[in-house]
Amino acid sequence: MAGVWIFAENHTQGLELLNTGRILADKTGSRLLSFLWHDHQVAEDYLACGADEVLLLPPLEESQPLEAYIPVIVDELREGDADIFLLAATLRGKDLGARIASRLDTGLCSDCISLKLDEDNTRLEMERLVFGGAGIQKVFCSSRPQMATIPPGTFEAAVPANSRREGKIRELPSSPATAVKILEKKAKERKSANIKEARRVVCVGRGIEKEEDLAMVREFAQVLGAEIACTRPVSEEMRWLPEDLCIGLSGIEIKPDLYIGLGISGQVQHVIGIRDSKIICAVNSDENAPIFDVADYGIVGDLYDVLPRLHEELGKLL
Amino acid sequence: MPEILCCFKWLIDESYIRASSSGELDLETVDYKLSNYDRNAIEESVRLQEEYGGTVSAITVGLPDSTKGVKDALSRGPEKAYFINDDSFENLEPSQTAAILADIISSQINYDLIICGEGSSDLYAQQVGPRLAEKLGIPCISYIQKVQIEGDRIVAEKKVEDGIEVISAPMPVLLTVLPDINTPRIPGLKDTLGASKKPVINISKDDLTVSYEAKIHTNAIIAASMERNCQKFGSETEDIANLARALAKEGVIK
Repeated sequence: MAGVWIFAENHTQGLELLNTGRILADKTGSRLLSFLWHDHQVAEDYLACGADEVLLLPPLEESQPLEAYIPVIVDELREGDADIFLLAATLRGKDLGARIASRLDTGLCSDCISLKLDEDNTRLEMERLVFGGAGIQKVFCSSRPQMATIPPGTFEAAVPANSRREGKIRELPSSPATAVKILEKKAKERKSANIKEARRVVCVGRGIEKEEDLAMVREFAQVLGAEIACTRPVSEEMRWLPEDLCIGLSGIEIKPDLYIGLGISGQVQHVIGIRDSKIICAVNSDENAPIFDVADYGIVGDLYDVLPRLHEELGKLL
Repeated sequence: MPEILCCFKWLIDESYIRASSSGELDLETVDYKLSNYDRNAIEESVRLQEEYGGTVSAITVGLPDSTKGVKDALSRGPEKAYFINDDSFENLEPSQTAAILADIISSQINYDLIICGEGSSDLYAQQVGPRLAEKLGIPCISYIQKVQIEGDRIVAEKKVEDGIEVISAPMPVLLTVLPDINTPRIPGLKDTLGASKKPVINISKDDLTVSYEAKIHTNAIIAASMERNCQKFGSETEDIANLARALAKEGVIK
């Protein structure tokens, strides 16, 4: 009994994977099964949104990490002879994915941004970004299950079917306790969450000369109703802004309507985080800066000279 | 006192990559570098050694001509390096790299702690660390921002989407580190010269006892194109006004 299995950390990611998983299950003429651990209440919703079966993972003790589920998930995938297994590419999801793939001795496409079945509806053709976003790697997996981790927000969320869908809900056995313990959980101030949802983002790079100059950028951002963000050197080397606000590879990816980059050269590691922005605008004094190749609109000029006037001109229109 | 092993990869510096007009990536004129995140892995290994004593070794899997990378890694502090190399070790996928590392580590190397970068700066699949831990049958704490040793346990701050988990695990442990865990020091001339004198243990394909077929196969790597306007303005006030109007026309300023 082959089929498509999915695992997500939260409800929104779950719905996105259900949508993709349903398409794959229909094409391969197989079933869609979803693991569920965070909220057993939504099991019925999952059935309505495309799952044929929801597999309830028993709640974990406070000190147990998510990886405690690995043995149960591995057993389930083995017994079910899973053909495809998709996970949401959260930090924990990616860790879980790699470890499950290792135990099942199979391949995993990390951070898969596109997937489709080949002509025979058997092999998944997957794409992912490499070289800091400069290249797209097209891959397939020759072993089973074919695995991929999928960044949240890559696909649309599934919506409930109009007609009632039948499905099963099954409880999975609990896992043995791991030697790895969570001593404490520290919740984060929700800075990057705001950034991820922001309609406008003003991002600063190395072109900013002094920490005090951020005040001028903050004022500009405030007028625009924009969130402020930065490149890795600004958060990691200068430590002028928290690492939560760092955009790019190993940082966060944003999808605003308008991105304005100030004094940003446009290294690929940064650009990977802004590629889904609707409009990219950049100010840089070097007319050959790579940021201009990926920007819709650019101003070649000194940031300190341009910003006050840009502030004024945009202010007139708002 | 901990015996620490850090993993590194010598790879293409992506800032040299250009797309050709046909949409292919030009990988002919590139330069190579030590993977960015592995610099953090090496730095953290050395930092822990400075604090707790013990030893630091480095290990890599790669092409025989990656010797420059081995020297680069050694110039950053480790006392010796294990260099598993073969002409066929080009474009290994993560499951292969992990299998090769696990085979050599389990048969030849003592360790209490293995430290990897969170991913490599070329493929960034972020799999080798967790896969290696699985193959060795040891705990893995990934994406860590801070680490300390408490007796025979590791206590580390792991980044998750909604905050931080402080995790404790008994050694031996594998850690994957985020770039914000430290600022790697830049090797000086003395470090570079000293690196040439450090022992390098060459390990060949013949020393491997496991098979490591690829599971993920690459059909192609093409240039990622971004369809953008690429319209440049000067910095005269009129230019800036034109840009502001263009943004308004796009509907993103209103």
